[in-house]
Amino acid sequence: MNVIEINNLTKNYGKERGIIDVSFSVEEKEIFGFIGPNGAGKSTTLRTLLALIYPTSGSAKIFGKDCIKYGPEIKKEIGYLPSEVFYYDKMKVSDLLKYSASFYKKDCSKRISELAHAMDLNLNKKIDDLSFGNKKKVGIVQGLLHEPKLIILDEPTSGLDPLMQQKFFELLQEENKKGATILFSSHILGEVQRMCNRVAIIKEGRIIQLEKISALQENNYKKIRVQTTVKLDENYFNIDGVSNLVVSQNMISFLFKGNINSIMKKISEIEIINVWVEEPDLEEIFLHFYEKGA
Amino acid sequence: MNIFLHELKACKKSTITWTLTLVGLIILFLSMFPVISQEAEAFKKLMEGFPEEIRLALGLSVENIGSILGFYSYVFLYISLFGAIQAMILGVSILSKEVREKTADFLLTKPVTRTQIVTSKLLAAFTSLLITNVFYLGAATIMASLVETKEYSTKVLLLLSLTLFFLQLFFLALGILVSLAVPSIKSVLSISLGAVFAFFIIGALVSTTGDEALRYLTPFKYFDFAYIMQNSSYESSFMMVTIAFIVIAITASYLIYSKRDIHAV
Repeated sequence: MNVIEINNLTKNYGKERGIIDVSFSVEEKEIFGFIGPNGAGKSTTLRTLLALIYPTSGSAKIFGKDCIKYGPEIKKEIGYLPSEVFYYDKMKVSDLLKYSASFYKKDCSKRISELAHAMDLNLNKKIDDLSFGNKKKVGIVQGLLHEPKLIILDEPTSGLDPLMQQKFFELLQEENKKGATILFSSHILGEVQRMCNRVAIIKEGRIIQLEKISALQENNYKKIRVQTTVKLDENYFNIDGVSNLVVSQNMISFLFKGNINSIMKKISEIEIINVWVEEPDLEEIFLHFYEKGA
Repeated sequence: MNIFLHELKACKKSTITWTLTLVGLIILFLSMFPVISQEAEAFKKLMEGFPEEIRLALGLSVENIGSILGFYSYVFLYISLFGAIQAMILGVSILSKEVREKTADFLLTKPVTRTQIVTSKLLAAFTSLLITNVFYLGAATIMASLVETKEYSTKVLLLLSLTLFFLQLFFLALGILVSLAVPSIKSVLSISLGAVFAFFIIGALVSTTGDEALRYLTPFKYFDFAYIMQNSSYESSFMMVTIAFIVIAITASYLIYSKRDIHAV
């Protein structure tokens, strides 16, 4: 069963592009990643699903019901965490969470204290006095306290330190095991790869790729930089799978796609001072791979 | 219900402040009445020294400044100015603050319709004004009975005082409509004060012309105190305009808010 079904969704902001002809669906109990560079239309898509903005054309269904027409009803079972969280500054955290819980017709107090404990959040502070990271935690608790069947997250990890990110992902995986479907947007490929079953990739308002994460992993790009003791032959690293090769003095940098062992062997054969192996960011991948496909 | 209570709590401080201000003002004004009524003759002479246009603009009618209702209708001009400011600020801020303080995402991703949100907020604003008016009305009636020794019509006093509430509802509706019509409001205070003072000044100008038709231009002139005192009732045509405006403004606000895109911050 599809929890989310998006059909030819288009949204223009006046003359400006929002999203064009976006279609994809998210199955029940799936963790679905929605990736693309900043400004590609991720938030626009998610905000339309939540009926915060209205589509220019096309439609979307959640739990089989039109997301605009049945918005209020659908939202009983949705938890949402925006990329930047803002709450009523003068309220205490516990009051805000109680206010949030009052919209759902069930007792959430036990769940609130569980989540707050897991996220290490002080409930007695004023929202105003919280750091950005702590506000984000309030957002997480607020989004999960009513045990929603569908969790929608818009760039959820920004502002969380790595330890909290880890905790947060564990929480999400727990929810997923209990049966929650998760849709989350990100511009960091790594976290999507770690969490998701399937991904949709959006660029300039259009979906350009929709695939299983396993397929994406075959396109496992690494960004590699090597600092050598002596200047190297320019074509030393010019092997299969290497692209964007730049050699300057003792620094060599390139993108590599393919069997990681072959490139490691290549590196081990030379005298090096330092080596960096990084996940390329999405923009870089777009530049090299998807530009051809799109 | 939860949004209503939340909003009521959020405007608790401003409700208390404004109520105290209006109550304090009327106590101050009416406590001056015994002195002025004793010196009514001297006061009349003094005012006759002013040019007529200025007297008209200030709402000073020389003949009845010595009676409590005459005096009350004079000082009420300033009460109504303050009351209008309170209502306008409330109206402009109540829906727009969610966008300005960026809490719209929180509220609108909850299982509520936009209509429910507007209704709850409207009711909260209405209640806030109602509270102010109840206390004001109490203070005005008690003070009037304390300072005036002669007979006067309590009904007329109530009719005069109630115009505060109607005027406030007018400005509340106007404020809400303005907050939805203006794309992004940076300062609630400047827009509210600007609008109220504009209407107030138009009111003062209209007074000097004495042209009846021009009275439709500003709500400050919808309730003519001389008429109310003479007839113990409101002028139905202006009452209709007030009600019509409120209904249209509120209906339009519901429609605009329901169709509006809530943009990311």
